[in-house]
Amino acid sequence: MLDRPLAPPPVEVIVAVTQALHREARLLDNEDLDGWLAMLGKDVSYRLELKSRRFRADRSPPFPLGPGVIFNEDLGRLKMRVDRLKSGFVWAEDPPNYIRRAVSNVEVLATRADNEVRVHSVLGMHRNRIDGTTRLLTAGRTDLWRSEGSAWLLAAREIVLDHSVLPDSNLNAFF
Amino acid sequence: MRFERIGREPDYSRYMDLKEGWLDRRIFSDADIYEEELYRIFARSWLFVAHESQIPNSGDFLTTHMGEDAVIVARQPDGSIRVMLNSCPHRGNKVCFADAGNTRRFVCNYHGWAFDTAGDLKGMHEEYCYDAGDIDFKNHGLKNVAKVGNYKGLVFATFNSDAPSLEAWLGDFRWYLDMILDNEEGGTEFIGGCIKSVISANWKFGVENFIGDAYHAGWTHDSGTRSMNNGQPFPPIDMDNSYHASVNGHGWEFGTEGVGDLFLLGRPKVMDYYNKIRPKMAERLGEMRSKIFGSVASASIFPNVSFLPGISTFRQWQPKGPMQFELKTWVIVNKNMPDDIKEEVTKGVMQTFGPGGTFEMDDGENWENCTTVNRGVVTRHERLHYRCGIGRQIEHDTLPGIVYRGQYNDANQRGFYQRWLDMMTHDEFGKMPARPEPQLGNVGETRDLPGLFAL
Ligand code: FES
Ligand SMILES: [Fe+2]
Repeated sequence: MLDRPLAPPPVEVIVAVTQALHREARLLDNEDLDGWLAMLGKDVSYRLELKSRRFRADRSPPFPLGPGVIFNEDLGRLKMRVDRLKSGFVWAEDPPNYIRRAVSNVEVLATRADNEVRVHSVLGMHRNRIDGTTRLLTAGRTDLWRSEGSAWLLAAREIVLDHSVLPDSNLNAFF
Repeated sequence: MRFERIGREPDYSRYMDLKEGWLDRRIFSDADIYEEELYRIFARSWLFVAHESQIPNSGDFLTTHMGEDAVIVARQPDGSIRVMLNSCPHRGNKVCFADAGNTRRFVCNYHGWAFDTAGDLKGMHEEYCYDAGDIDFKNHGLKNVAKVGNYKGLVFATFNSDAPSLEAWLGDFRWYLDMILDNEEGGTEFIGGCIKSVISANWKFGVENFIGDAYHAGWTHDSGTRSMNNGQPFPPIDMDNSYHASVNGHGWEFGTEGVGDLFLLGRPKVMDYYNKIRPKMAERLGEMRSKIFGSVASASIFPNVSFLPGISTFRQWQPKGPMQFELKTWVIVNKNMPDDIKEEVTKGVMQTFGPGGTFEMDDGENWENCTTVNRGVVTRHERLHYRCGIGRQIEHDTLPGIVYRGQYNDANQRGFYQRWLDMMTHDEFGKMPARPEPQLGNVGETRDLPGLFAL
């Protein structure tokens, strides 16, 4: 088969997936965590790995297990996190923190599978914590979204955080 | 309400009474006290700088800090390890901005002075601008630290040429350390990289949490424990068969049931692995230590390293001002573990004690708020309570150090602040009291212990 560049996805798909990203951010901001879980595929993979700063010329091999993994979750693990947040025992979230997510630079690309698209986006996350401290985190995301029935579900997400030192004491929010 | 406006105390012993069990809150935010800590504690202690497995080959290096001083740790062609200031002797610029890597030279960005991995000055950009007599290459390398030592893979360095040997500094605490560093043939290694995060809290809050604060776990981490454990809360502690042990400010709190922390890691395969090697561990380290390893436990090495044996997170609290530290975390595993077990451990650590972990997420905010709130001008003059278990000291046949019964205790915290006070008040290192007198002084290797301690 010739490796020709794929035609861009239909405009309706681009609109639907972009809307899904915005909806996802709104659900998370509003702590509608069950609503968010319903947007995930059964086989979802959700990963956030840190980078380590190296000289460009450095040819030494990378770490065997990567520089540092923050999230490497499947649906079961994500549900567990959601259960924890909903347990009523998370003292650091009570009263609630204010989190606002802004999604931008959305690029929806076709894949070889008809029902799947690759999606690049940028996430800015503003967190205002119970003690009043505010942090701004930014990350790049590369997703795989899959249409199942009438809905688009998140099948995979690779998050690249733009911080070599996390500017916060925890990352208990979804990206 | 009346309160006096008090300035600095004339002497550090006024900031605490550990026999009574209280601390003055000012030690957690006062800028002058912090400066003094950098000189008296960080510039004079043995400080952890690397695990030797992070820099296996000649030319491998990593950058870190000793106190607030930036340093480079580099493996030499002869296999030795050198530690030097990461600051150019010309104008002081940072010489190496990478976290880690492999190199033959460090070249300063400002005027191109070039150093080899031992720190020796080898040349510079437009060398002809220096006339004969302008510069002595031999005296203008990167300043090396006074001493470098290696205890079973952990590399320490000190700026203090009067410091005792690393073995003497760790002293009887080696008996405990060997449970994580030497529980299996082959020793340990760090796997994967380093995760760094900034926490707006005083560095001592991290250390004291790991040195003895088992007490917070059941409450602070209630949500995490329940989510990992089908809704069940943290199991009650066996106060009769759990302990605090303190040696010169180092401390280990632990149970003797052998499984608690392995259970919290949440990876059954890792539990199986340790259960399999446990009989060998007992042969190697004695019955008692094979029962302590894996139990609910946490530990700190004075002044600023902590770890959870069994859960395998290893961390350093790097001071960045009185009200901020950088937390660096690694995963420590036995070198001889099969790869799939190493991967299980890594996953478990990420899920429990990484910055996004089910337990770790709850800690940082407590320390941040302890720090900021303690600073209030009225609040700072109130004492903090460190008296839990103050009457429970025991003599134990097998356990070295100052031992208290009952894992819920402030004893190791008091031991840590006692050492803090000793270092803040003693100009001469040799005059500091040993706490307690060493019992294993002549023992070169805790595996070869005679008699009771081998139990
Ligand atoms: S400051 Fe480094 S070469 Fe001038
Ligand atoms: Fe904790």
